[in-house]
Amino acid sequence: MARSKSNAVNWFLHRITGTFLVFMLITHFWVQHYDHQVASVTMEVVAEKGEMPTYPEEAQEGVKARFGADAAVTPYQVVMQRLADPVYAVLWKGFNILFLVVALHHGFYGLNNVLTDYIRDPMGRVVARVLSWSVAAVLLVIGLYSVITAGW
Amino acid sequence: MAVETAERPAAETIEANGTVEDEGRFQRYRIRTGMFAWMAHRLSGVALVVYLVVHIWGLKSLTDPEAFNALIAKYHAPIYKVGEFLLLAAVVYHAMNGLRIVLIDFLGWSPKQKKLFWTLGAVALVLIAVGGYPSIYALVQYFGA
Repeated sequence: MARSKSNAVNWFLHRITGTFLVFMLITHFWVQHYDHQVASVTMEVVAEKGEMPTYPEEAQEGVKARFGADAAVTPYQVVMQRLADPVYAVLWKGFNILFLVVALHHGFYGLNNVLTDYIRDPMGRVVARVLSWSVAAVLLVIGLYSVITAGW
Repeated sequence: MAVETAERPAAETIEANGTVEDEGRFQRYRIRTGMFAWMAHRLSGVALVVYLVVHIWGLKSLTDPEAFNALIAKYHAPIYKVGEFLLLAAVVYHAMNGLRIVLIDFLGWSPKQKKLFWTLGAVALVLIAVGGYPSIYALVQYFGA
């Protein structure tokens, strides 16, 4: 009874989280790859060992305005424009935490569905479920720690 | 509606052939639009979970500036640009087909599901082309020059 109810809730949540993820991923991709000031992965191939990507003028100005004229414009500093901001960092970290929880639920509930489709043994299904949710829990802790402490 | 398989084909096929083939352990499904969409959704989904694990694990380096810089520099290598493009393709396909599933489940659009597949498929191609252009452009610049 309890199991079937939680499955129905998870089935419903899977669709809700999926819809949320579409919008969150658009934001994520825009900020990380397309925005000239804060995107850390640029439209450039860097293959030399130890070489850093060069950032657009907007990013260079942004980093220097925030961290001082002699601040190095590294990938870390570009990201810290958002995550070390006294005001917006809370919003970005909040967004990242919500994103993390939603993505982990969606991904690992989906993985559970796939596994239970191929594992017929009831005990095997329990093992698969416990294992996959354990991995999700570990990733949640790692993710929360990284996001919350970054820049603080 | 029941799924048609090699063992359990639609009634008219049994009448025409008179027999049902035994295919052994695995069922052979008839691959039509819906089944193709489902298989691609499942494959891209599993790939994205694998990526999610690697991604979150890698972001531990956010707590260490040196490690983070090294990681992001690595993400600019040619092979990662190819991976970036493939990742976008998987995400966009999974998102568009997922949207189709949501519309079918919540709004009862199942009669329109095939039309929906081709419409969203076209949208997906446009999004992959526009969104993936920077990765391809970077590769062309690097290898072309």
